[in-house]
Amino acid sequence: MPHDPYRALYLHVPFCVKRCSYCDFTTSAVATDDPRIDAYVEDLCLAIRRKSKEGELSAIETVYLGGGTPSHIGMSRLSMLLYALSTSMRLEPDVECSMEANPESLTPNMVRDIWALGVNRLSIGVQSFDDKVLETIGRAHDAQAACRAIEAAHERFINVSCDLMCGIPGQSAESFERSVSRAIELGVSHVSVYPLTIEPHTPFDRMVLSGELPEPDDDVEAEQMQIAQSLLAAAGFERYEVASYAKPGYECRHNIAYWTGVPYLGIGTSAATMTQNSERRMRMTDGSVTDDLNAEQMVAEDLMLGMRMTRGVSGEKIAEARLVLPRLDETIDKLVEEGLAAWSEDRLRPTERGWLLGNELYGALFDLA
Amino acid sequence: MTDPSHIRNFSIIAHIDHGKSTLSDRILEMTGTIAERDMQAQLLDTMDIERERGITIKSQAVRVSYQADDGEEYQFNLIDTPGHVDFTYEVSRSLAACEGAVLVVDATQGVEAQTVANAMMAMNANLEIIPLINKIDLPSADPERVRAEIEDALAIPADDAVLASGKTGVGVHDLLEAVVYNIPAPTGDANAPLRALIFDSYFDPYRGVVALVRIVDGSMRKGQRLRLMASGKDILAEEVGARHPVEEPLPELGVGEVGYLVTGLKDLVHVKVGDTITLAEGGVDNPLPGYREAKPMVYTGLFPIESDQYEPLKEALEKLSLNDPALLWEPEKSHALGFGFRVGFLGLLHMEVVKERLEREFNLDLLATAPSVEYHVFKQGGEMMSLHSPQEMPDPGEIEHIEEPYLKAKILIPPDYVGAVMDLTVARRGTFVTMNYLSQNTVEMLWEIPLSELIMDYFDKLKSNTKGYASLDYDFAGYKPSQLVKLDILLSGKPIDALSFIVHKDKAYDRGRVLTEKLKEIIPRQMFEVPIQAAIGGRVLARETVKAKRKDVLAKCYGGDISRKRKLLEKQKQGKKRMKAIGNVEVPQEAFMAILKVDD
Repeated sequence: MPHDPYRALYLHVPFCVKRCSYCDFTTSAVATDDPRIDAYVEDLCLAIRRKSKEGELSAIETVYLGGGTPSHIGMSRLSMLLYALSTSMRLEPDVECSMEANPESLTPNMVRDIWALGVNRLSIGVQSFDDKVLETIGRAHDAQAACRAIEAAHERFINVSCDLMCGIPGQSAESFERSVSRAIELGVSHVSVYPLTIEPHTPFDRMVLSGELPEPDDDVEAEQMQIAQSLLAAAGFERYEVASYAKPGYECRHNIAYWTGVPYLGIGTSAATMTQNSERRMRMTDGSVTDDLNAEQMVAEDLMLGMRMTRGVSGEKIAEARLVLPRLDETIDKLVEEGLAAWSEDRLRPTERGWLLGNELYGALFDLA
Repeated sequence: MTDPSHIRNFSIIAHIDHGKSTLSDRILEMTGTIAERDMQAQLLDTMDIERERGITIKSQAVRVSYQADDGEEYQFNLIDTPGHVDFTYEVSRSLAACEGAVLVVDATQGVEAQTVANAMMAMNANLEIIPLINKIDLPSADPERVRAEIEDALAIPADDAVLASGKTGVGVHDLLEAVVYNIPAPTGDANAPLRALIFDSYFDPYRGVVALVRIVDGSMRKGQRLRLMASGKDILAEEVGARHPVEEPLPELGVGEVGYLVTGLKDLVHVKVGDTITLAEGGVDNPLPGYREAKPMVYTGLFPIESDQYEPLKEALEKLSLNDPALLWEPEKSHALGFGFRVGFLGLLHMEVVKERLEREFNLDLLATAPSVEYHVFKQGGEMMSLHSPQEMPDPGEIEHIEEPYLKAKILIPPDYVGAVMDLTVARRGTFVTMNYLSQNTVEMLWEIPLSELIMDYFDKLKSNTKGYASLDYDFAGYKPSQLVKLDILLSGKPIDALSFIVHKDKAYDRGRVLTEKLKEIIPRQMFEVPIQAAIGGRVLARETVKAKRKDVLAKCYGGDISRKRKLLEKQKQGKKRMKAIGNVEVPQEAFMAILKVDD
């Protein structure tokens, strides 16, 4: 179908040094010198060049190299990939180019080289600065390695993000609090905070089923998400999305694209592509369509995703949505009454409660179409 | 038309699961009525639910020709009867159409409660009884013990009991010969005006109501004007015939014969089981004895989950009633559940079968409230009102006293379980009447127990407390005064009419406490705290709280996560459809049945 230009590009690297106990992402534990990685990277480069020739990369404003663990594949392959990218699209400083890295494989040399090849944002999978917690979730690094990685990143990057997890069995409120404080002390400009979820077919899932591991407690997770909110706010971070905190100007533009109905192209195994025009929106992964939305469903989805973000949805956007979703006002009134959303400065925004009870909030909007 | 001396009308009676339907199948097969290749297990059970549950709900009649060893050909009319206690009246009418009965007893299980009850009914109907010990092919079969039990417990001579296996066909020939020699030929006056007994009826969408009949006197011809004596309705005999079980139209049904009658009526209400058919002109004045109206024992509210399914539910009930005159219903309005119906059933099995058919055959999502019985409330000043639903209960100040239905229950168990049955039944307000040793291995206990207690999971409890040995039969005993109160359940401070129930005063506190605990488990956490209270009048007996949900969000939502998120929200939406929103509390369906699962 004729579609609007892609403005965000996602590249997937499905390799890790080991699988973490909670992980259900498309990735596999493969040794760095495995030839399968070479074959995959070559295919990825070819696909980038092909999309470039088709003109699909001409309007890209953000790039995200995610995984798996992109830092795990080593510098020579990353060079190939970033070189292919830089010759296939306009990769200048105004284009946000993020890369995910894990502490065990991010070296000072890698930091220098990827910076030189155009990466300008690093997202480091720290998860916790508590060795016991790191062991519980089966990470390949310890707290010290995490600190070193962030320090190394700061040799070149100003835009460094740190991922943290809460609600991990055995992780006390104090432990989580120390991890958040440590991230602040280390001077990162962006923090993401995820509550642990038990996904099917993961080691954690089996452990919960067999009773070895207690199920994460929603109340504890809510508590810890609020701890993160108050510590980070005090340190000058703004919570711009339910799980994302940034110093002013350091919001992740690529992720914002996902939540604002911007079309994105995914290249690589399990990478999702979103294509749309004014009447239809589709999502595809590995050649199969996962979503096929009509105009009403698109509008409802935009509202739903918009409510993940602090800035919410503008009154203007809601006025447009009202034209296709006749029950919208009724639903909004109910959400406001239930304290899940609130109006301010002519925008409908999620409340703290709305963020925590996100499935209620998004569900109500989802049900409109 | 067959000479009455060559007609044998008989029933097969048994406790549930003793192999009655399989034995019927074998008879059809061995008399050549049905070719083996057309054979389908439980051929006479036509409803899906009958086959799945292995039970017979409707009566059936089949005509079979049998070439006996004496060289003569006989007409057998085999009448298959329901085996469940809910359908006792239908059994008694089927028996009234017969001269004999084959009493099937499982060679491994022996005599059970409904064996006794059915044998008693057959004896009361003056039927010749042929005992048959079934399933003798099983390794655990003990025919000699069972033979002794039949003699001890039922006082039926069992020296000549037929030993058979419906499964292998062993002994079926012996049975057919015993039918010829032991069961009397029908007697009746061929020249008298017509008298025919309706022992079942069903609705055929193309031909209207069809009645299964036994000609007692006279004969019934196609084209005759007939009268249904109890309902006073005149009809035209559009067609008469026999079922093999495929219908064969005949010019006439003669005295002693069993067959079907196409009435042309569109409404089953007039064609009542037990009614007598005579001629519209020149008929008799004295109907056959024993007619009575089928009366519901158990009532429940049936509500559509989606309110737009009210009309479809009404239409479905109308359709089911065409074929089930025992099903009574009237509109009911609940503050909590909206518009629905109060439906009366013969018993719990009948209720389950109807609910399942409504959901399956009519594709409805239904919510059933806990079953209740018919209470008689005597108001100050003497006025009596029949109460089918706890919601209708007047203010305590207006009530003089309340009576509730009691049953005479007969429980058969091995002697080891007498204590267990005592404990359970006394806890359910049962009054012990007496106890007899039917044999060394079987004790018969007689109780009087409130019907309301029996419908509270009593049978399952009885089975589990006796390792499955107990069997139960019951009969209506009458109404007795009882100290009853209405227990209200409040969610978030508001009484939920559909959750209220009537309970004995002494049990109110325990039931209220256990039920609130149970509801706390069943009702999922909501966005706000939900207090659950059990109260009588304004007095709160028990309180639990469902804590408010604080977090349900899954934080990550990037590229491909959005599709997963959509799936999850779709599932959440479907899940909510299985719940009923009462005010702003989402209540799962099982909450309304929780009271039935309250342990003592």
